[in-house]
Amino acid sequence: MDVLKLGSYTFSSRLILGTGKFSNSTVMLDAVRASGAQLVTVALRRFNRQQAEDDLFGPLSTIEGITLMPNTSGASTAAEAVRAAHIARELSGSPFIKVEIHPNPQHLMPDPIETFEAARILAKEGFLVMPYIAADPVLAKRLEEIGCASVMPLGSAIGSGQGLATSEMLNIIIRESTIPVIVDAGLRSPSEAAHAMEMGCEAVLVNSAVAAAGHPPEMAEAFAEAVAAGRKAFRAGLMEKSGFAVATSPLTFLGTF
Amino acid sequence: MPNGIRYPNVDSLYNLTMKEMSQIITIELNGEQQPLPPDSSVNDLLSIIGSDGKSLAVVVNDSIIRPNNRSTHQLHQGDRVELLIFAGGG
Repeated sequence: MDVLKLGSYTFSSRLILGTGKFSNSTVMLDAVRASGAQLVTVALRRFNRQQAEDDLFGPLSTIEGITLMPNTSGASTAAEAVRAAHIARELSGSPFIKVEIHPNPQHLMPDPIETFEAARILAKEGFLVMPYIAADPVLAKRLEEIGCASVMPLGSAIGSGQGLATSEMLNIIIRESTIPVIVDAGLRSPSEAAHAMEMGCEAVLVNSAVAAAGHPPEMAEAFAEAVAAGRKAFRAGLMEKSGFAVATSPLTFLGTF
Repeated sequence: MPNGIRYPNVDSLYNLTMKEMSQIITIELNGEQQPLPPDSSVNDLLSIIGSDGKSLAVVVNDSIIRPNNRSTHQLHQGDRVELLIFAGGG
Protein backbone atom coordinates (compact mmCIF):
# COMPACT_ATOMS: atom_id res chain seq x y z
CA MET A 1 0.00 0.00 0.00
CA ASP A 2 1.21 3.49 -0.86
CA VAL A 3 1.56 5.32 2.45
CA LEU A 4 3.32 8.42 3.71
CA LYS A 5 6.01 7.39 6.20
CA LEU A 6 7.21 9.85 8.80
CA GLY A 7 9.37 8.27 11.49
CA SER A 8 7.51 5.17 12.64
CA TYR A 9 4.16 6.70 11.64
CA THR A 10 2.31 5.88 8.42
CA PHE A 11 -0.52 7.86 6.86
CA SER A 12 -2.76 6.93 3.95
CA SER A 13 -3.63 10.62 3.39
CA ARG A 14 -0.97 12.84 1.88
CA LEU A 15 -2.84 16.04 2.59
CA ILE A 16 -1.86 17.85 5.78
CA LEU A 17 -4.31 20.51 6.86
CA GLY A 18 -3.73 23.67 8.88
CA THR A 19 -6.45 24.86 11.23
CA GLY A 20 -5.85 28.64 11.19
CA LYS A 21 -7.96 31.43 9.70
CA PHE A 22 -11.26 29.52 9.55
CA SER A 23 -14.36 31.62 10.19
CA ASN A 24 -15.28 29.37 13.12
CA SER A 25 -14.38 26.01 14.60
CA THR A 26 -17.44 24.23 13.17
CA VAL A 27 -16.36 25.07 9.62
CA MET A 28 -12.80 24.09 10.48
CA LEU A 29 -13.88 20.71 11.85
CA ASP A 30 -16.07 20.07 8.79
CA ALA A 31 -13.11 20.89 6.56
CA VAL A 32 -10.81 18.56 8.50
CA ARG A 33 -13.33 15.74 8.14
CA ALA A 34 -13.88 16.45 4.44
CA SER A 35 -10.14 16.57 3.76
CA GLY A 36 -9.51 13.11 5.19
CA ALA A 37 -6.31 14.60 6.63
CA GLN A 38 -4.66 12.49 9.29
CA LEU A 39 -2.03 15.06 10.23
CA VAL A 40 -3.39 18.41 11.35
CA THR A 41 -1.42 21.44 12.45
CA VAL A 42 -2.27 23.55 15.49
CA ALA A 43 -0.61 26.53 17.19
CA LEU A 44 0.04 27.36 20.83
CA ARG A 45 -1.83 30.36 22.23
CA ARG A 46 -2.36 31.87 25.64
CA PHE A 47 -5.58 30.72 27.28
CA ASN A 48 -8.22 33.41 27.44
CA ARG A 49 -11.47 32.58 29.19
CA GLN A 50 -13.29 35.23 27.19
CA GLN A 51 -12.46 33.21 24.08
CA ALA A 52 -12.88 29.66 25.33
CA GLU A 53 -14.05 28.51 21.86
CA ASP A 54 -10.49 29.06 20.60
CA ASP A 55 -9.43 25.84 22.29
CA LEU A 56 -9.25 23.23 19.51
CA PHE A 57 -7.78 20.32 21.43
CA GLY A 58 -11.11 18.92 22.60
CA PRO A 59 -12.98 19.33 19.29
CA LEU A 60 -10.12 17.90 17.23
CA SER A 61 -9.81 14.87 19.47
CA THR A 62 -13.39 13.95 18.56
CA ILE A 63 -12.26 13.22 14.99
CA GLU A 64 -10.94 9.69 14.67
CA GLY A 65 -7.53 9.01 13.20
CA ILE A 66 -6.10 12.50 13.67
CA THR A 67 -2.51 13.09 14.75
CA LEU A 68 -1.66 16.61 15.82
CA MET A 69 1.36 18.43 14.49
CA PRO A 70 1.81 21.54 16.63
CA ASN A 71 3.85 24.37 15.16
CA THR A 72 6.25 26.76 16.83
CA SER A 73 4.69 29.85 15.27
CA GLY A 74 5.43 32.95 17.28
CA ALA A 75 8.99 31.84 17.97
CA SER A 76 11.67 34.06 16.51
CA THR A 77 14.69 32.19 17.89
CA ALA A 78 15.73 28.55 18.16
CA ALA A 79 15.47 28.72 21.96
CA GLU A 80 11.86 29.94 21.78
CA ALA A 81 10.99 27.23 19.26
CA VAL A 82 12.50 24.51 21.45
CA ARG A 83 10.54 25.81 24.44
CA ALA A 84 7.32 25.87 22.40
CA ALA A 85 8.01 22.32 21.18
CA HIS A 86 8.35 21.04 24.74
CA ILE A 87 5.08 22.65 25.79
CA ALA A 88 3.31 21.44 22.64
CA ARG A 89 4.45 17.85 23.16
CA GLU A 90 3.22 17.97 26.74
CA LEU A 91 -0.20 19.04 25.53
CA SER A 92 -0.54 16.95 22.36
CA GLY A 93 1.30 13.78 23.29
CA SER A 94 2.45 13.85 19.65
CA PRO A 95 6.12 13.60 18.66
CA PHE A 96 5.50 15.74 15.58
CA ILE A 97 6.66 19.33 15.63
CA LYS A 98 6.53 21.79 12.78
CA VAL A 99 9.50 24.05 13.34
CA GLU A 100 8.39 27.42 12.09
CA ILE A 101 10.58 30.40 12.89
CA HIS A 102 9.83 33.56 10.97
CA PRO A 103 11.03 36.76 12.60
CA ASN A 104 9.58 39.18 10.05
CA PRO A 105 5.77 39.41 9.89
CA GLN A 106 5.99 41.34 6.61
CA HIS A 107 7.13 38.35 4.55
CA LEU A 108 7.08 35.44 7.05
CA MET A 109 10.18 33.93 5.47
CA PRO A 110 11.72 31.28 7.72
CA ASP A 111 15.02 32.02 9.45
CA PRO A 112 17.33 29.25 8.18
CA ILE A 113 19.92 29.55 10.94
CA GLU A 114 17.51 29.48 13.88
CA THR A 115 15.43 26.78 12.17
CA PHE A 116 18.48 24.57 11.69
CA GLU A 117 19.56 25.00 15.31
CA ALA A 118 16.08 24.26 16.70
CA ALA A 119 15.72 21.23 14.40
CA ARG A 120 19.11 19.89 15.51
CA ILE A 121 18.18 20.09 19.20
CA LEU A 122 14.67 18.69 18.77
CA ALA A 123 15.71 15.82 16.48
CA LYS A 124 18.27 14.81 19.09
CA GLU A 125 15.51 14.84 21.73
CA GLY A 126 13.45 12.40 19.66
CA PHE A 127 10.92 14.74 18.07
CA LEU A 128 9.73 14.05 14.53
CA VAL A 129 10.93 17.38 13.22
CA MET A 130 9.13 18.90 10.24
CA PRO A 131 10.95 22.14 9.44
CA TYR A 132 9.27 24.87 7.41
CA ILE A 133 12.02 26.27 5.18
CA ALA A 134 12.68 28.34 2.11
CA ALA A 135 13.12 26.19 -0.98
CA ASP A 136 16.86 25.86 -0.40
CA PRO A 137 18.37 22.51 -1.51
CA VAL A 138 21.52 22.95 0.61
CA LEU A 139 19.58 23.67 3.79
CA ALA A 140 17.21 20.79 3.01
CA LYS A 141 20.16 18.40 2.77
CA ARG A 142 21.66 19.69 6.02
CA LEU A 143 18.31 19.17 7.79
CA GLU A 144 18.11 15.64 6.43
CA GLU A 145 21.62 14.92 7.78
CA ILE A 146 20.69 15.96 11.33
CA GLY A 147 17.71 13.60 11.42
CA CYS A 148 14.62 15.57 10.45
CA ALA A 149 11.57 13.46 9.57
CA SER A 150 10.86 15.59 6.50
CA VAL A 151 11.60 18.95 4.99
CA MET A 152 8.80 21.38 4.22
CA PRO A 153 9.91 23.95 1.67
CA LEU A 154 7.54 26.75 0.78
CA GLY A 155 5.85 26.96 -2.61
CA SER A 156 5.50 30.71 -2.09
CA ALA A 157 4.96 33.06 0.86
CA ILE A 158 2.56 31.92 3.62
CA GLY A 159 -1.03 32.80 2.77
CA SER A 160 -0.05 34.45 -0.52
CA GLY A 161 -1.77 31.99 -2.86
CA GLN A 162 1.07 32.43 -5.36
CA GLY A 163 1.37 28.69 -5.92
CA LEU A 164 4.57 26.85 -6.82
CA ALA A 165 6.77 29.90 -7.42
CA THR A 166 9.78 27.92 -6.23
CA SER A 167 9.22 24.87 -8.46
CA GLU A 168 12.74 24.90 -9.93
CA MET A 169 14.29 24.67 -6.44
CA LEU A 170 11.64 22.20 -5.30
CA ASN A 171 12.64 19.89 -8.14
CA ILE A 172 16.25 19.91 -6.94
CA ILE A 173 15.21 19.29 -3.33
CA ILE A 174 12.98 16.37 -4.37
CA ARG A 175 15.72 14.86 -6.54
CA GLU A 176 18.35 15.09 -3.79
CA SER A 177 16.25 14.20 -0.77
CA THR A 178 16.02 10.81 0.92
CA ILE A 179 13.37 12.04 3.38
CA PRO A 180 9.85 13.13 2.41
CA VAL A 181 9.56 16.56 0.82
CA ILE A 182 6.31 18.29 1.72
CA VAL A 183 5.33 21.56 0.07
CA ASP A 184 4.12 23.86 2.78
CA ALA A 185 2.67 27.28 2.13
CA GLY A 186 1.58 29.38 -0.79
CA LEU A 187 -0.77 26.98 -2.57
CA ARG A 188 -4.09 28.36 -3.76
CA SER A 189 -5.72 25.77 -5.97
CA PRO A 190 -6.04 21.98 -6.00
CA SER A 191 -4.30 21.88 -9.40
CA GLU A 192 -1.17 23.28 -7.75
CA ALA A 193 -1.33 20.56 -5.11
CA ALA A 194 -1.69 17.94 -7.86
CA HIS A 195 1.28 19.49 -9.65
CA ALA A 196 3.42 19.34 -6.49
CA MET A 197 2.53 15.66 -6.08
CA GLU A 198 3.30 14.92 -9.75
CA MET A 199 6.72 16.49 -9.20
CA GLY A 200 7.37 13.92 -6.49
CA CYS A 201 6.43 15.68 -3.28
CA GLU A 202 5.36 13.16 -0.67
CA ALA A 203 2.60 15.38 0.71
CA VAL A 204 1.33 18.95 0.74
CA LEU A 205 0.30 21.15 3.63
CA VAL A 206 -2.46 23.67 3.00
CA ASN A 207 -4.32 26.05 5.26
CA SER A 208 -5.30 29.40 3.73
CA ALA A 209 -6.37 27.82 0.43
CA VAL A 210 -9.05 25.89 2.32
CA ALA A 211 -9.82 28.31 5.16
CA ALA A 212 -10.26 31.31 2.86
CA ALA A 213 -12.23 29.43 0.19
CA GLY A 214 -15.89 30.21 -0.44
CA HIS A 215 -16.86 26.77 0.90
CA PRO A 216 -13.99 25.39 2.97
CA PRO A 217 -15.23 21.77 3.39
CA GLU A 218 -15.76 21.43 -0.38
CA MET A 219 -12.36 22.91 -1.07
CA ALA A 220 -10.80 20.52 1.45
CA GLU A 221 -12.34 17.62 -0.45
CA ALA A 222 -11.12 19.03 -3.77
CA PHE A 223 -7.58 19.25 -2.38
CA ALA A 224 -7.78 15.67 -1.13
CA GLU A 225 -8.81 14.46 -4.58
CA ALA A 226 -6.12 16.53 -6.30
CA VAL A 227 -3.41 15.25 -3.96
CA ALA A 228 -4.52 11.65 -4.55
CA ALA A 229 -4.63 12.19 -8.34
CA GLY A 230 -1.21 13.84 -8.37
CA ARG A 231 0.30 11.04 -6.35
CA LYS A 232 -1.24 8.42 -8.61
CA ALA A 233 0.13 10.23 -11.67
CA PHE A 234 3.60 10.40 -10.12
CA ARG A 235 3.56 6.68 -9.40
CA ALA A 236 2.21 5.90 -12.89
CA GLY A 237 5.14 7.85 -14.39
CA LEU A 238 4.59 10.89 -16.60
CA MET A 239 5.54 10.59 -20.26
CA GLU A 240 8.72 12.24 -21.49
CA LYS A 241 8.37 15.72 -22.95
CA SER A 242 9.25 16.21 -26.59
CA GLY A 243 10.19 19.39 -28.43
CA PHE A 244 8.38 18.07 -31.50
CA ALA A 245 4.90 16.84 -32.23
CA VAL A 246 4.55 13.08 -32.05
CA ALA A 247 1.45 11.81 -33.81
CA THR A 248 -0.94 9.52 -32.02
CA SER A 249 -2.86 8.57 -35.20
CA PRO A 250 -1.74 7.34 -38.62
CA LEU A 251 -0.98 10.39 -40.81
CA THR A 252 -1.82 8.69 -44.14
CA PHE A 253 -5.10 10.00 -45.58
CA LEU A 254 -7.52 7.24 -46.51
CA GLY A 255 -7.95 8.81 -49.97
CA THR A 256 -4.31 8.12 -50.84
CA PHE A 257 -4.83 4.33 -50.82
CA MET B 1 -10.71 42.18 25.28
CA PRO B 2 -6.93 41.92 25.34
CA ASN B 3 -5.34 38.54 25.87
CA GLY B 4 -4.99 37.16 29.38
CA ILE B 5 -7.21 37.09 32.39
CA ARG B 6 -8.08 40.53 33.62
CA TYR B 7 -10.38 40.01 36.54
CA PRO B 8 -9.71 37.83 39.55
CA ASN B 9 -12.59 35.74 40.73
CA VAL B 10 -13.38 37.72 43.85
CA ASP B 11 -15.62 34.96 45.24
CA SER B 12 -12.55 32.95 46.04
CA LEU B 13 -11.26 35.78 48.20
CA TYR B 14 -14.49 36.39 50.21
CA ASN B 15 -14.11 33.62 52.73
CA LEU B 16 -10.62 34.53 53.83
CA THR B 17 -9.77 35.49 57.38
CA MET B 18 -8.16 38.86 58.05
CA LYS B 19 -4.84 37.08 58.45
CA GLU B 20 -5.22 35.31 55.15
CA MET B 21 -6.26 38.58 53.49
CA SER B 22 -2.97 40.06 54.57
CA GLN B 23 -1.18 37.12 52.98
CA ILE B 24 -2.77 37.35 49.54
CA ILE B 25 -0.16 36.82 46.89
CA THR B 26 -0.03 38.22 43.38
CA ILE B 27 1.18 36.17 40.48
CA GLU B 28 1.67 37.12 36.85
CA LEU B 29 -0.86 35.12 34.85
CA ASN B 30 -0.38 35.25 31.09
CA GLY B 31 1.29 38.61 31.51
CA GLU B 32 -1.29 40.14 33.86
CA GLN B 33 -1.56 40.51 37.63
CA GLN B 34 -3.72 37.92 39.40
CA PRO B 35 -4.26 37.92 43.19
CA LEU B 36 -4.51 34.51 44.86
CA PRO B 37 -5.26 33.25 48.37
CA PRO B 38 -2.13 32.15 50.20
CA ASP B 39 -0.98 28.55 49.72
CA SER B 40 -2.77 28.22 46.38
CA SER B 41 -1.77 25.32 44.17
CA VAL B 42 -1.87 25.27 40.39
CA ASN B 43 -5.15 23.36 40.61
CA ASP B 44 -6.58 26.07 42.90
CA LEU B 45 -5.67 28.66 40.30
CA LEU B 46 -7.34 26.59 37.57
CA SER B 47 -10.55 26.30 39.56
CA ILE B 48 -10.52 30.06 40.28
CA ILE B 49 -10.42 30.80 36.56
CA GLY B 50 -13.03 28.11 35.89
CA SER B 51 -10.96 25.63 33.90
CA ASP B 52 -10.69 21.88 34.37
CA GLY B 53 -7.18 22.20 32.97
CA LYS B 54 -7.61 19.23 30.65
CA SER B 55 -6.60 20.97 27.46
CA LEU B 56 -4.22 23.45 29.06
CA ALA B 57 -0.48 23.38 29.35
CA VAL B 58 0.70 25.01 32.56
CA VAL B 59 4.12 26.63 32.69
CA VAL B 60 5.37 28.16 35.96
CA ASN B 61 8.59 30.16 35.76
CA ASP B 62 9.52 28.33 32.53
CA SER B 63 8.90 24.85 33.99
CA ILE B 64 6.06 22.71 32.66
CA ILE B 65 3.77 21.51 35.47
CA ARG B 66 2.28 18.15 34.51
CA PRO B 67 -1.34 17.33 35.44
CA ASN B 68 -0.40 14.95 38.24
CA ASN B 69 1.73 17.63 39.93
CA ARG B 70 -0.79 20.44 39.72
CA SER B 71 -2.49 19.74 43.06
CA THR B 72 0.80 19.81 44.94
CA HIS B 73 2.66 22.55 43.10
CA GLN B 74 2.28 25.68 45.24
CA LEU B 75 2.31 29.12 43.72
CA HIS B 76 4.34 31.91 45.27
CA GLN B 77 4.39 35.68 45.17
CA GLY B 78 5.67 36.89 41.79
CA ASP B 79 5.49 33.52 40.02
CA ARG B 80 5.12 33.82 36.27
CA VAL B 81 2.36 31.47 35.13
CA GLU B 82 1.55 30.77 31.50
CA LEU B 83 -1.58 28.86 30.54
CA LEU B 84 -1.51 27.69 26.94
CA ILE B 85 -3.97 26.01 24.62
CA PHE B 86 -3.98 24.74 21.06
CA ALA B 87 -5.64 27.21 18.73
CA GLY B 88 -5.91 27.32 14.96
CA GLY B 89 -2.63 27.50 13.08
CA GLY B 90 -1.06 26.36 9.85
